[in-house]
Amino acid sequence: MTDAPDLKPLKTWSHLAGQRRRPSEYEIVSTNLLWSTDDELPWSLSPDMDMNQWYLKYRDGSPLKHVDWDAFRDPDGLVYRTYNILQDGQEAYVDGLLDEHNASGHDAELSAGWLDSLALLYTPARYMLHAVQMSSAYLVQMAPASTIVNCAMLQAADQLRWVSRTAYRTKELSLTAPDKGFGDKERALWENDPAWQGFRELMERALVAYDWGEQFVALNLVAKPAIDEAFVRQLGQAAHRAGDGLLRQLLDAQQADSVRARNWSAALVALALQTDGNKQVLADWVAKWAPLGDAASDAFCAALPDAGDAAAQAKDEAEAFRAGLGLGR
Amino acid sequence: MALLDRSDWYDIARDTNWTPGYVPREEIFPPQLSDPYGIPVEQWETFDEPYKVSYREYVKIQREKDSSAYSVKAALSRSKFHDDLDEGWASVLKLHYGAVALTEYQACQFQARMVRFGPSPSMRNMATYGMLDELRHAQLQLFFPHELVSRDRQYDWAHEAAHTKNWAVLGGRHAIDDIMMCRDAVTGTIMVSFAFETGLTNLQMVGLSTDAANMGDFTFANMITSIQSDEARHAQLGSPAIEIMINNGKKKEAQQAVDVAFWRMWRLFAITVGIPMDYYIPLDQRHLSFKEFMHEWIIRQYDRQVRDLGLETPWYWDLLADDIENHHHCQQGGIWSWRPTVWWNPPGAVGPREREWLEEKYPGWNDSYGTYWDVITDNLLHGREEKTHPECIPIICNMCQIPISNRPGEAWKARALQLEHEGRRYNFCTEPCRWIFTTDPDRYKHHLTIVDRMYSGEIDPPTLDNVLTYMGIGVVSEGGRDGHDYSWVDGFRTQAAE
Repeated sequence: MTDAPDLKPLKTWSHLAGQRRRPSEYEIVSTNLLWSTDDELPWSLSPDMDMNQWYLKYRDGSPLKHVDWDAFRDPDGLVYRTYNILQDGQEAYVDGLLDEHNASGHDAELSAGWLDSLALLYTPARYMLHAVQMSSAYLVQMAPASTIVNCAMLQAADQLRWVSRTAYRTKELSLTAPDKGFGDKERALWENDPAWQGFRELMERALVAYDWGEQFVALNLVAKPAIDEAFVRQLGQAAHRAGDGLLRQLLDAQQADSVRARNWSAALVALALQTDGNKQVLADWVAKWAPLGDAASDAFCAALPDAGDAAAQAKDEAEAFRAGLGLGR
Repeated sequence: MALLDRSDWYDIARDTNWTPGYVPREEIFPPQLSDPYGIPVEQWETFDEPYKVSYREYVKIQREKDSSAYSVKAALSRSKFHDDLDEGWASVLKLHYGAVALTEYQACQFQARMVRFGPSPSMRNMATYGMLDELRHAQLQLFFPHELVSRDRQYDWAHEAAHTKNWAVLGGRHAIDDIMMCRDAVTGTIMVSFAFETGLTNLQMVGLSTDAANMGDFTFANMITSIQSDEARHAQLGSPAIEIMINNGKKKEAQQAVDVAFWRMWRLFAITVGIPMDYYIPLDQRHLSFKEFMHEWIIRQYDRQVRDLGLETPWYWDLLADDIENHHHCQQGGIWSWRPTVWWNPPGAVGPREREWLEEKYPGWNDSYGTYWDVITDNLLHGREEKTHPECIPIICNMCQIPISNRPGEAWKARALQLEHEGRRYNFCTEPCRWIFTTDPDRYKHHLTIVDRMYSGEIDPPTLDNVLTYMGIGVVSEGGRDGHDYSWVDGFRTQAAE
């Protein structure tokens, strides 16, 4: 062989051997793991088969381009092992919150008016959070590098976490207030109540944003920030005003997961912006999707009790997040 | 003071289907990614997973499992185990990691398809844990071999194999792309969760962990057992999907999906499991023959599971019984002869004692496979090592991508299993591989085997060096050699002297 490489002993995977520093556990187990990005054809079946066409169009044909998506690194550097350690601790904290508030008779102290608000604005959220779970899973299938895939995967898992905790609270509230429709009316409210129609439209449309780059923008730069600001933060503040310390603390705990999502979203935007042309692509998608995010925040916040300028705050904060990435409108 | 039981709220968490109003449902759930069988969504909402877990339980249990697996590894990493490791077992590890680590990773994307496009909310939630499980399996099976690359570059294949075009990898990728990566959520779960994971990975894991423990490789044994405990949970996604299909008049489709997937994976598993069990593991550490194992775990148990679900025994069951007697023996001969093309060091391991064992486990082995090894043994005894390297190029099956071969000796049943399709002639190893092609010729017709690539100009010119380079040999690491440096022929020298 004329160009046989030097097969000297390795200290790490050959693909990481070129870097000067010793690779971290994160790099050893997370980098360059997709085989469908190796060749022009993603999958080793006929080129005109559905799935090859889907990946060629929506992943490889995306207007969002980078010569080396595998250069992406999760700023939090999470691997499966450390994710479970982190979230087991977080969930133990949530167990503690639930146990403690249950013991102190917290729910019995909530006003009838606030219970109505919870039935309208809190427990139907499991549909929205599940849609985010599904949407994140689409990114898992379609992102062009394993390090991006992994971030989306943990993000999907985080949503199931809050779908589950919301379901838990739905049941608990139904025991305290059996006449408020907890566990019964959520689907109808999600499908019909004006407070949810903005988020429902946003998520239904995001779910079919099949270009992987557009999916990322619709989900991580618009939908999730809108949910963080309107649902997590503004509903949390309303809970505080209503004396619902439990919901306030649950939503604060949810916020910690959102911080990680924003960290990796920012890192991915920064990587994308290394390539000429991507700024315009991202800006165009933001221009397309952000109005839907704003409308969702408007509709949701309008139904918050004593909302004040909640909608404006929510929209400003979501916009500020994007502006911080260089993608303000 | 109390926390609710999981069962109090679990049904609420899996009540998340809604009727879309802004986008048609079939755009959110395109049939080719979700359910191509047109089963009503209310039917999918009856999906009830046999094994239930909550997120809270999941992160706690998995944290504990990881803590155990990683601490066993840490505790044993300073042991001398790998210093004087039998190369037969090292070959098991190299073959295993190269075949499995990145396959597990692609399975994350497969599970994600169910999370996004599964028509049942239960399926979507359970697949979320399945997706995390696959991430775990990929990361464990990268982290563990990583420390071995400083001993031996062949362990680099744990990460690199799937990125090469090694002939063995082409076969693995073709099968995995077919049954796992390129199917809708419903067909995928039947093929992977049921046929592959329920049917076959149990075989691999239970068998391998026992063998590993016998070998004293407690790190590997413990890791595999831990992985198997996840698999036992998420494999249960398959059976409720099959039940719903049968209840909605789609038994024939479910049966075909199960039968296609099982056969495809069987052809690979016989190589990754059967050869190690009957050849690579040193004789004194073998606990069962592959055949005994297959009859106990597959012929009996899988068939019973299939029928319990309301499906039929696969039509090729008799052919499977025949393949159990032959396929892995053929491939042991082939892989050993073509050892420079693989990333492990396959031992021939057919000395007098081993042959006695093989004859006992597979009556007639000496008169058939034995005749093949007689020639090789004779060449080695007489210093003609070069004659143990074949010069002919095998014919490769256009479905499983494995060289076509059959039982040598008097029982030789040579037959041509071919098919003309749109002007191209396709060759198959067995009837089921040909049948799979006919179920969807458009899906398979373009694929080129490694040998096709030598003649199509993709490997140009197709010299031995170029072919090896194309396959990653001499690039990722050196290719294979006899794992025991032919020491297994020594027994015949002794016999001759006596």
